[in-house]
Amino acid sequence: MSEKNGQSLPAEELYQRELEALMAAEQDAIPTGWRMSPRSVLTYLTGGVTVKGIEITPKYMGNRRLVEIAIATLVTDRALLLIGEPGTAKSWLSEHLAAAVNGDSTKVVQGTAGTTEEQIRYSWNYAMLIAKGPCPEARVKSPGYRAMESGSIARVEEISRCASEVQDALISILSEKRLSVPELGLEVPAAKGFSVIATANTRDKGVNDMSAALKRRFNIVVLPTPADVATEMEIVRTRVNQLSAGLDLNAKLPDEGTVEKVVTIFRELRGGATLDGKQKLKSTSGVLSTAEAISLLANSMALAGSFGNGVISEEDLAAGLQGAVVKDEEKDKVSWKEYLENVMKKRGSGWMPLYRACRELNP
Amino acid sequence: MDAAVPCLPGAESVMGAPVLFGVRHLSPAMAYSVRQALDAYQPQLVLVEGPSDLNDQMHWLCHPRTQFPAAMMAYPKTPPVRTILYPLTVYSPELQAILWAHEHRVECRFMDLPSGVMLALEEGSEEEEEPEENTEWVYRRLEEITGEDHDAFWERNFEQLEDWRACREAANAFGTELRGTAQDGRQRTARTLVREAYMKKVIAQAVDNGVPPGKIFCVCGAFHVPGLEENEPMTAEEEAALPRVDCAATLMPYSYYRLSSRSGYGAGNQAPAYFELLWEELHREGAAGLPIRYLTCLAAAHREAGNLVSSAEVIEAARLAKTLCAMRGSRYPCLADLQDAAVTTMGHGNRSELSVARAETEIGKRVGFLPEGVSRTSVQEDFYRQLQELRLEKYRGMERQQLDLDLRERLNVKNQQTALLDLRRSFFLHRLRVLGIHFASLLPSRQEGANWGEYWDLRWTPEVEIEVVESSLLGDTIEGAAAFALKERGEGSTTISQAAAIFQDAFLCGMPAAASHALAVLQGLSVDTAALTEVAETAARLSLTVRYGDLRRFDAAPVIPLLQQLYLRACLTLEDACQCDAKAAPAVTEAMNQINLLQLSHDCLDEPRWLELLGRISDRDDLNTRCSGFAMAILLERGKADEELLAREVSRRLSPGVPADLGAGWFEGLAAKNRYALITRLSLWRHLDDYLSTLDDAAFRRALVFLRRAFADFSPGEKNDIAENLGEIWGVASEKPAEELMGELTQEEQEVLGDLEDFDFDDI
Repeated sequence: MSEKNGQSLPAEELYQRELEALMAAEQDAIPTGWRMSPRSVLTYLTGGVTVKGIEITPKYMGNRRLVEIAIATLVTDRALLLIGEPGTAKSWLSEHLAAAVNGDSTKVVQGTAGTTEEQIRYSWNYAMLIAKGPCPEARVKSPGYRAMESGSIARVEEISRCASEVQDALISILSEKRLSVPELGLEVPAAKGFSVIATANTRDKGVNDMSAALKRRFNIVVLPTPADVATEMEIVRTRVNQLSAGLDLNAKLPDEGTVEKVVTIFRELRGGATLDGKQKLKSTSGVLSTAEAISLLANSMALAGSFGNGVISEEDLAAGLQGAVVKDEEKDKVSWKEYLENVMKKRGSGWMPLYRACRELNP
Repeated sequence: MDAAVPCLPGAESVMGAPVLFGVRHLSPAMAYSVRQALDAYQPQLVLVEGPSDLNDQMHWLCHPRTQFPAAMMAYPKTPPVRTILYPLTVYSPELQAILWAHEHRVECRFMDLPSGVMLALEEGSEEEEEPEENTEWVYRRLEEITGEDHDAFWERNFEQLEDWRACREAANAFGTELRGTAQDGRQRTARTLVREAYMKKVIAQAVDNGVPPGKIFCVCGAFHVPGLEENEPMTAEEEAALPRVDCAATLMPYSYYRLSSRSGYGAGNQAPAYFELLWEELHREGAAGLPIRYLTCLAAAHREAGNLVSSAEVIEAARLAKTLCAMRGSRYPCLADLQDAAVTTMGHGNRSELSVARAETEIGKRVGFLPEGVSRTSVQEDFYRQLQELRLEKYRGMERQQLDLDLRERLNVKNQQTALLDLRRSFFLHRLRVLGIHFASLLPSRQEGANWGEYWDLRWTPEVEIEVVESSLLGDTIEGAAAFALKERGEGSTTISQAAAIFQDAFLCGMPAAASHALAVLQGLSVDTAALTEVAETAARLSLTVRYGDLRRFDAAPVIPLLQQLYLRACLTLEDACQCDAKAAPAVTEAMNQINLLQLSHDCLDEPRWLELLGRISDRDDLNTRCSGFAMAILLERGKADEELLAREVSRRLSPGVPADLGAGWFEGLAAKNRYALITRLSLWRHLDDYLSTLDDAAFRRALVFLRRAFADFSPGEKNDIAENLGEIWGVASEKPAEELMGELTQEEQEVLGDLEDFDFDDI
C-alpha cells in the first residue's frame, strides 16, 4: 500500500518485526477476527519485554489499566471512544490498537466539519454510475464499510468535529451492525471482529456535542495528561527517539537536561503553577501537550542538524519554545515573559543559558 | 485436589492435633470457609482469637437482636484513656465461628491474652524503629509485582476460592510466607510471641480438661498458625509475671464508614458494603453472582443520586468486567475490575461521575445496633436512655442531620416534660459538648434579636461511642460527668473570662449547682485586678444569662450582685483606660460599647453614673481623642447630647491648629455610631471640610490615615450620602464627588496609601 520511504509509515509497518514476534510467540486464545490475543495486544502497547529476541518498545506509557480497559472493550465487540485533551496520544493509541488487533490501522475517517455521511457509509463513482447504473462496481466503499466486510476495526478521528447527521450515521452501524444499500437491494452484515475506535477532543466540547444515543454505543476511556514529570519525560524521550530515526535529522538526541527543561516548562505553564506548587503562574492559550513537546524537540533537532553543529543549542530550543508557547501574540507574550523573569531566571545556573536565549527573543 | 490437602478431618483427629484454622480478619470467603470447616470437623470446643477475659460478651454477640458491625472495646478503669477495639462484621470469620458454636450448642471461648495484659504491654512499649522489611514492605513489594493494590491481590487470589480446604491452605501458605519474609520490630515480634504462647497455653489447658485434641477448633490470624504449631505454651510462672492494668470492656455499635477508613482505631477494609454483598452472594450463587449484584446495586444507587443508567449500560459493564478479569488473570472480576468497567460504561469515562454511587455501594451507611441490656458502662446506659427519652434516636445515623430547637415552653401541651422537650434536648446536647462528645455541633444562631432558637448538627459515629465510654471515667451519668468536667475546668481557671466561660457552659447545660460553683470561682478571681476589656467581656456574658435565664428555667438572682460589682469596676477603670495610644483605643471603645449595652439592658445598674462618666470622657482633652469621640457618639445615640453641644464639640475638636491625628482620631470615634444622624447634619461636614483645608500637606496625609479607617466600613449607600453632602458644600453636582469616591484607586494612590499605613507617628 505504501512504499518504505513514505513520509509516515502506518504503525503496522513501522513495528512489523515486533508484531510478528508477538504473533509467533502467541500462547493464549485469539478472538475471532483478531491477529493476536488480547494479552499480546497489551504487551505490544505497554512494551518493556523481549519476545523471541525482539524488544517490544512501549507505545503507550502511563496508565496501564486504561489500556487494559480499551482492549477489553474491543474484545466484547463494543465500540471504543477515547477522550482527552489534545496531544494525550488518543490517535496514537487508536492507531496502535488497530495495528495490533488487525494489522491494519489505515481504515480511518478523519472527522472534520466537511465530513459527509457518505464517508461513513458509501458513495458512488458517478462516471460509472451514469454509464452503468447502480451496480456493485460503481459503489465506493467507505473505511467503515470495508471494516464491516472484513470484520476489522474502523477508526474515526475527532468525532466531535463531525456534523450531527454524520455522527447519527454511525449509530445505525454500531447498533444494528449492518449497512443497507437500498440502491442494490443489499444488506451488508458486519463480520465478527468489526468494531470502531473513535477519538474526541475535550477542547472541542460543545462544537458538535455527541448525542446520548451515540455515546451509549461507546465504552468511554478518558486519557489523562501524564501523571508526573518522570513519566512525561520518558514519553518525550522515547518518541523523539523514534521520530528522529524516521526523519534522518542528522542531529544528536537531546540530552536528559534538555528534555527535563522542556517538560518542566510545559507542565508548569499547562498546570498554571510551578512543579513544587509554591508559585502560581499565568497559563497560556496553547494546549502545550506532550505531543507538542515531542514535536518541539524534533524541530529543534532539525534546526541543529541543518543549520548548527548537530547538537541542540539553547537558541534552537528558545526558538521552538517561543513558537509553542506564544500562540496568542499579546496575552501569551506577557505570560511567557513573566515566566522567564519570575521562574526561569531564578532557577540557577543550569537554566541561565536557556533563559538568556529566550530573553533575546523577547526583549 | 483433595488428595493434596494434608488436613482432612479424619486424618487429623487420628493424629490428635487441634485444628488451627488461619484466617484473614474481615474476609467473606474465609468466614464462609470457617463455617464449612466447622461443619466438617464437628468440634467440641471452638477457640477464637480475642481477649480471653471477654467471654461474657459472646452472649450478646449471639443475641438475635444484635446487628453488626459491632466492636468489642476494652479500656482501663483509670486515666489516661486508651482503648483496644475488635471490630466484627457479619463476614468476620471469628464472628461466624462464634455464631456456629452458638447454633450447634458447642462451647466457644476466646483464647488471646486478656485485654488488661494487652493494654499493659502496649503501654510499656515505646515507639520503635520498624525494620525496613516489615509487613507493609512486603505488601508494597506485592503491589509492585502484581501491578495492583493489595486488596485486589487478596481478592483475586483468596476471596474467589470456593473450596474451604483450598481457602484454608491458601491462607495458611500466605501467613507462613509473610511470617518468613517480613521482619517486624523487636517489641512487636516479642508481643506476637507472648500472645502465641498464651494461646497455646489455653489450648493445652483445654486438652488437660479432657477435650480430645482433635475436637478443638481454633480460629486465628493466618499469621499465627506457624507460631502456634511450633512454639511452646506459656508456663504458669510466666503468666503470673505478665503486666496487667485494671480494665473494663463493653460492646459498641460500629459503622461501615468507620471500618472503611484505615486510620484511627483498628484495622479496616476498604469496601465493607461490597464485602457484605459478597458474603450474601456466597450463600446464594457463590462468588460468580457478585459482579451482577454489585453492578445492579451501583446502578440503583446512581439512579437514586439523580442520574440515568440504562440496563444496557449495566450489561455492558458486566461484559467488560468479565473480559478485564480474564486479561488480568482471575476467575471472577474483583472490585477493581468492576469499578473500571462501571466507570467506562455508566460513568462515561469519568471516575468522579460515579463517586456518590460508589460510596453508597462499596462503603454504605450501615450502623450496628445492640439490644438493650448489653453490658454497657453506666454512662452509655444513660446516653441511650436519654436519646430515647428525648426522642433523639432517629438522629443516631451516619448522615448529618439538622435539629432546630425552640427553647420556649409549649403552652398547648399539658405535660410539663413534653412542653419543655426542646429545652431538655438543649441541656443534653450542651452537656455532651462540654464532655467533648462529638455527637452534636452547635450552629451559629439565625435569629436576630431573639434567643429562643438553637440549631444543631447531629451525626453519630463510632467515635461518639468511644468518647461516651471515655467519659465514664468522669462520672456515672452524662450529667454527673459533665458536672465533674466543669468543676475540674473551674478549678483550673486563672482569669475571670475563663471562669465566665465555664459559668456560661454550666448555664447552657442547665446545671445550677455547677453554675454556682463557677460563679464562686469567678467572684474570687474578680477581686484581683483585671483588665477593663476582660471585665466588660465577662459582664456581657453574665448579662446574657440574666436576660435569658427565664428561657432556660435558670434562676439568675445570684448573678446580679456580681454583675453590679463588675459594672462598677468597669466604670471606675474606664476613664484611666482611655489614656491610651492609638493601638489600644479600638479595644477600649469596644469595651465602652459593651458596658453601654449592659447598662441599657439592666435597670439595676446605675444610669446617672454612666452618663456622667461619658460626659467627662467626652469633655476631657487629655484622653485618647478616639475614645472621647466615641463617648460623644454614645451620648448622641442615647439622646443625652443636644445639637448645640455637638456643634460646640465639633468646632472645638476640629478647629485650626489641632494636630491632624487628634482631630481626625476624634472624628473616627464619633463616626463609629449613629451614622445616619451624622450624615444628616450638614454643618458637621462643613466643619470637617474647613478643618481639613487648614492642614498642610504633611498633616493632611496623617489625617488621611484616620479618616480612611473611619469611613472604611461605611456602606456604599452611606458613602453616597456623604458625597452628596460634600457636593453641596463645594457647590458641585452631587454625582461628581460620588464618582470620585466610589471609583477604584489607581496604582499610585494605592502605593501612597500603603506608605502611609507604615507611617510611624511616634517620631513626630
